[in-house]
Amino acid sequence: MKTSIVGLGQTEFSKNSGRSELKLALEAILGALEDAGLEVNDIDGLVRYTWDNTSEAAIVNALGLPSLSYYGETEFGGVNCCGAVAQASAAIEAGLANCVVFYRALNARSGVRFGRGERVLAEEGDWLVSRQPEPPGDIYSAPFGLLVPGQHHALYAQSYMGHYGLDEERFTDMLGGVAVTQRGYANRNPRALLKDKSLSLDDYRAGRVITHPLRIYDYCLETDGAMAMVIVSQEKARELSGKAVDVLAAGQYIFPGSVPMYLYAEKTYSLAPEGAAQQLFGRAGLSASDIDVAMIYDATSMMVPIALEDFGFIGRGEAADFLSSGGNGPGGPLPVNTHGGLLSEGYFHGLNTIAEGVRQLRGDSHNQVEGAETAFVTLRGASSMVLGRA
Amino acid sequence: MTVIRPSDEYLEQPYYRHLAEGTLHLNCCNDCGAAHHPPSPICPKCRSFNTGWKPASGRATLNSFAEARHAVHPMLGPKVPYVITLVDLEEGVRLVSGIPEGMRFDLKVGMPLECKVIRFDEAFALPYFLPVGEGGA
Repeated sequence: MKTSIVGLGQTEFSKNSGRSELKLALEAILGALEDAGLEVNDIDGLVRYTWDNTSEAAIVNALGLPSLSYYGETEFGGVNCCGAVAQASAAIEAGLANCVVFYRALNARSGVRFGRGERVLAEEGDWLVSRQPEPPGDIYSAPFGLLVPGQHHALYAQSYMGHYGLDEERFTDMLGGVAVTQRGYANRNPRALLKDKSLSLDDYRAGRVITHPLRIYDYCLETDGAMAMVIVSQEKARELSGKAVDVLAAGQYIFPGSVPMYLYAEKTYSLAPEGAAQQLFGRAGLSASDIDVAMIYDATSMMVPIALEDFGFIGRGEAADFLSSGGNGPGGPLPVNTHGGLLSEGYFHGLNTIAEGVRQLRGDSHNQVEGAETAFVTLRGASSMVLGRA
Repeated sequence: MTVIRPSDEYLEQPYYRHLAEGTLHLNCCNDCGAAHHPPSPICPKCRSFNTGWKPASGRATLNSFAEARHAVHPMLGPKVPYVITLVDLEEGVRLVSGIPEGMRFDLKVGMPLECKVIRFDEAFALPYFLPVGEGGA
């Protein structure tokens, strides 16, 4: 790719924003343009998730934008956080637009909650009824009580435990190593929802089980708020303020049975298809060992061990050793989710995952990795990205 | 467990209609013989539209399982904890399934299972999978 992320804007993370998703989106977009040193009228492209309630037309109308020459949408929400950047980049490289904003606004705690069955079921007399054609909560899985993404993640977790023969204690130390390390990062990040709440490994072990084998601390935070980022060509980025971070490679993937919930994928302990890492790193002209910091979309902590193995940062089955010994922590071989992740910073549906990669390469993370030149971002391999210091 | 059902238009489709009649059938290709799930108008192996339905053997292995202890809907409060399973059928397809209400088993990834169809009413039944010898097919 020959594009750069040049501006980030966001609202606060909260449990109750007290304002509409449209207003949240606008605040984030204006913030991102200001951060980039661009005018609002420079926006000529928008990309969004189909799941976002705020349409491109609503943004254009609200801001009185002169016109958009491109707008694009990606399906399946956070699954496509890097796919949306790929789409924006492709539009810029194709000459369809010059300045594309990717935004996401959600009242996902005070409004419709992803962790609740009400999102996919209707109450009809003594029954709850599903009409969903696809997971989560579809007509084939909902009757067994499989309704929300977090329950699917418990299935991946048990599959992983079974495949590698991990006992409960080793498994607990592995995921505890994710949750506790990321909370430590969040404690040093003033933006984080859980900045003031410490978490020890003993606290983690004593955590309430939500869907076995996952505990409450393994789950991301349902959050209200919005985030936006500005994407332009690398050439244009060099004329701007110096906050640019280059998109070295970005892409998305679907294979049979995978997206959105991987219920029918051949493997359920490994979620990226064969070859995903080679393709991504090949496009970036790098290898996994060149990556300085990784941002892994952690809807649950289980996403971290799977992604580390799927992308070759560690060998298959090595995640328990790596994570229980702090390999993802400050000073470790590969710091992961240095904002605290979706587990402890907040949940802007992957945009804050990307944003922390950008901040690391700008050198202004609250948990700065000294000299970070490259960052990796992924959601289960379904969409992935490599960022480089400009 | 269940208080959750597909809407009537889906219960009228062959997959659920066969279950309501007491057997698990799989959507199969009449040309190459491959089974697939969820049902589809085309065979994903040979791309033939000539598909139909065949009874499943009921034999499967446990791919994964999870025990829901937190109720994600108020009507599920009396149902937790309940066990959700992923099962790999002998025919090469995966199904989401579960352990019937009131039963408990020591589950292990990779263990052999057999199908037990449980009917809830005239129109609605589900395919559960139990450890072999525990009362399934």
